[in-house]
Amino acid sequence: MASRALWAQRLLPYLYIGPALTVACVFSFVSMGISMWVSLHDFDAFAGASEFVGFDNYHRALYSDDSYFWLAMRHTAVYVVLSVCGTLLTALPLALLCLRAKVGQALFRTLYFLPSITPGVVLALVFYHIFGNYGQLLDNSWTALPALSLLGVWAGAGYNMVIFLAGLTEIPQLLYDAAVVDGANRWQQFRHITLPMLRNTLVFVTVMTIIGSFQVFTSVYIMTSGGPERSTEVIAYSIFVNAFAVAGQMGYASALAWLLFAVIFVFVFLQMRVFRSRRIYD
Amino acid sequence: MKGSRRIALVAMTLGALLMVYPYAYMVGSSMKTRKEFAEDRRSLIPSRYQIGEQLAHFQGEPSALDWPGADWSMWRNYVDAIRYGGIDRYLGNSFIYAVVITSIQLFFNILAAYAFARMRFFGRDLLFGMLLATMMVPPAVLLIPNFLVIRELGLVDTLWGVIIPGFAGAFGIFLLRQAFLNIPAELEHAARIDGCGSWGILTNVVLPLSKPAIITLGLFTFMGAWNMFEWPLVVLSNQDYYPLTVGLSLFRSETTADWPRVFAASVMGAAPLIVLFLVAQRYLVGGISLSGMKT
Repeated sequence: MASRALWAQRLLPYLYIGPALTVACVFSFVSMGISMWVSLHDFDAFAGASEFVGFDNYHRALYSDDSYFWLAMRHTAVYVVLSVCGTLLTALPLALLCLRAKVGQALFRTLYFLPSITPGVVLALVFYHIFGNYGQLLDNSWTALPALSLLGVWAGAGYNMVIFLAGLTEIPQLLYDAAVVDGANRWQQFRHITLPMLRNTLVFVTVMTIIGSFQVFTSVYIMTSGGPERSTEVIAYSIFVNAFAVAGQMGYASALAWLLFAVIFVFVFLQMRVFRSRRIYD
Repeated sequence: MKGSRRIALVAMTLGALLMVYPYAYMVGSSMKTRKEFAEDRRSLIPSRYQIGEQLAHFQGEPSALDWPGADWSMWRNYVDAIRYGGIDRYLGNSFIYAVVITSIQLFFNILAAYAFARMRFFGRDLLFGMLLATMMVPPAVLLIPNFLVIRELGLVDTLWGVIIPGFAGAFGIFLLRQAFLNIPAELEHAARIDGCGSWGILTNVVLPLSKPAIITLGLFTFMGAWNMFEWPLVVLSNQDYYPLTVGLSLFRSETTADWPRVFAASVMGAAPLIVLFLVAQRYLVGGISLSGMKT
């Protein structure tokens, strides 16, 4: 009897972590394994046919003349750069302004935060019209991609502002007082106190924006379908179209997904390091 | 000093107007008739409610009040979106998905987080590291293989197919574990002396003390589930199971779409989360500030 109770005691933890661990691992590691297998095959999920082709799918994505991988990657990179610059140039100033304004902070935070809690599909539908009303931004292959990243920056501004606000309020007022005594002006205070003290937050916001932007899908799907003239075809959209809209391209689409993963991984790795160094519920 | 504050206030107010404008546009357009929207896509107020048109009508001149549909109530598009657009079903589906995902994920995550925080067992650190590593895989990469897993399980085009991947999340476990670790171990020892097992400790001591973290995680999970789009788009083909996001996306390329009605549906899709946000704001903002949690 006693030993049975002991066994139950020993197994209990696994019972506790079992369900969550199973789900989390199946839909990440097991999935990744399947994805790797599929990417090495000429795979048609719906016909149920598959043939081993080695690295042909990767080769096709990287070197074939009819491949849109590099085109999609270029568009994605442009979108990422625009989004990161736009985010840093709006969210941080907004946070500084919000602190300075003193009154109405809660109201501002609420209003600026609205897009973060609105379905992306709704935002995309509304901006589809707003961009259409003012200058047909989405009909021009030069402005469509910047317009999409404008939506991304607009939607993320409040969320990132809140993160910057948290970072800013952690900076000891003492440092500023000391700087004032030393005769530092506003810019010098910002340059030599605020920026260095915000380093972790800046890295965090930048990396999160990069990772998120690399995977932009909803606004492209709703607003442009990759057009006009493929000018907004980004990698996540390519993956989706090849896997689910074109028959028999799932292997190729999986290869695209792995190539995307390879690019993102650097940033994911950075994110994990920052994530671990952040103090949570201290 | 005073001046810079005023400038900041003005700048923040202008920014706030930019944030609110798309919402005003959405709500205003949702009250237009089709003709009003076709005639004037930019205005925030439907023609028949504009003072100029009302005056013209009062003076017996032709005005927007003579247009077809001028007797529409403000809510007509909302009623029609439900009556003819099936929006009520999409909303119901979204609600079911969000509630089921949130409750099951909270349950699974709490159990796992408690074990990782308070129990000793073989391979604990290894398994926890593995769990954290699952966060490193970007969702865009998992789209296809997750679909294949769901297909192998025979769950394509079912409610379960949509919700099962959301049953657990490494981030939630990480967050809860941190909260649980902050509870003084003495409280648990006391409960154990009083005869509580680990389940009793979890429900009587740990959960009540980590309410804020649990509420925060629950809200984020709910919002994430309500807003999810690409996954249900891939898994579902039967319109009866569509969540609101996928239902709305059907209109995207229709040039003949009844846009005011689509806007009405959009408002109904966005409103529940906005209400939830206003009610529970402090948990959400606190959660983001502490952890950079993403909806």
